[in-house]
Amino acid sequence: MASRPVNVWDLPLRLTHWSFAVLVFAMWYTAENSLWFWHTRLGVALFALVIFRIIWGFVGPPTARFSGFVRGPKAVLGYLRGKYPDDQRIGHNPLGALAVLALLGVMLVQTSMGLFAGDPYDGATGPLNSLVGVMTADQLTDWHADFLWVVLGMAGLHITAIGVYSMIKMDDLVGPMVTGTKEMKPPVEGIAGTPWPRAILALAIAAGLGVWIWLGAPPLG
Amino acid sequence: MNTSFSLRLIAATASLGLLAACGGTADEAPGEAAPAGDEPAIIDERQSNFEGIGDSFKLIRAELETDTPDFAAIEGAANDINERAKLITGHFPEGTGIDAGYDTEALETIWQQPAEFEAAAQKLIDESAAFAAVAAGGDKAAVAEQVKALGGSCGNCHDQFRVDKD
Repeated sequence: MASRPVNVWDLPLRLTHWSFAVLVFAMWYTAENSLWFWHTRLGVALFALVIFRIIWGFVGPPTARFSGFVRGPKAVLGYLRGKYPDDQRIGHNPLGALAVLALLGVMLVQTSMGLFAGDPYDGATGPLNSLVGVMTADQLTDWHADFLWVVLGMAGLHITAIGVYSMIKMDDLVGPMVTGTKEMKPPVEGIAGTPWPRAILALAIAAGLGVWIWLGAPPLG
Repeated sequence: MNTSFSLRLIAATASLGLLAACGGTADEAPGEAAPAGDEPAIIDERQSNFEGIGDSFKLIRAELETDTPDFAAIEGAANDINERAKLITGHFPEGTGIDAGYDTEALETIWQQPAEFEAAAQKLIDESAAFAAVAAGGDKAAVAEQVKALGGSCGNCHDQFRVDKD
């Protein structure tokens, strides 16, 4: 039977994905060029977006849900041995699932450290800097700077993997992440429509958390 | 071994290789437009001097965060800042700024406004001496208040003569 385009990635997931790409680059650029006004603001936005993606991983469509794609070591090994039917499944494969967790994890760790980083007597500070002691903030600032290499390493690995899939496996991962659709043969079905009320609620929670943190987490701060 | 498994192995190896390469270059951070010849040793010297000032200043603030600050340690740190502050003006020979292409945050204004630069350094010398005297008194509230003046004399110089970090 002929293949036809089916929906694989919902719109909130795609917008979140490309915002991650833009924001991670912007975070590096603003830090490198001492644009701390923007670094701190975009950092809180990135943190909130990671939170949104995590919530979406519980309430989004099947291909967005962690329970829908995170698999055990057996499945990952099986995938590496070529035992995974790529042409009969949509969404993250077992190895890609690990990449999703790792990418979200490093962004969450890095932005969380940034919230506390800095020194009020020497440049910009994260919005929660005053909640920790000067020595703790100093330590987190050092780790935040060093952890950049882990973030860049993960981003590099991610981009390399996409290149390998498109050039060696002839599997275009970028196209579906832009359009949301992929050519699949029946009986493979795409995901149903986006649950927009849940998307808006998840975004509201994440944005609310971001605003609360930006204000210094009252009444704590 | 089937072809597909080989391809996946190649993919995994290439990716790990890239990760390793990233790790390998992490420690090198060469100045972007380094001029011919080595970086003057004075740049390293003054940077460690400023780091020493920063460490002492953090020690003072960390002590003040505790319920029973060690005022002797605070006074010692203030004296350390005072000694290091006296070295600052001698650490900036002309041509060692960011415009000369070195990995530094020292602005050209240091040499364009030498009198102001000297005054800013003198302010830190004076404030750290004044702070040491207050610290010797052992009054936490007074010391905490004086910290702001001491910190202000750091920022005063940074605002005029260092790459903007805000």
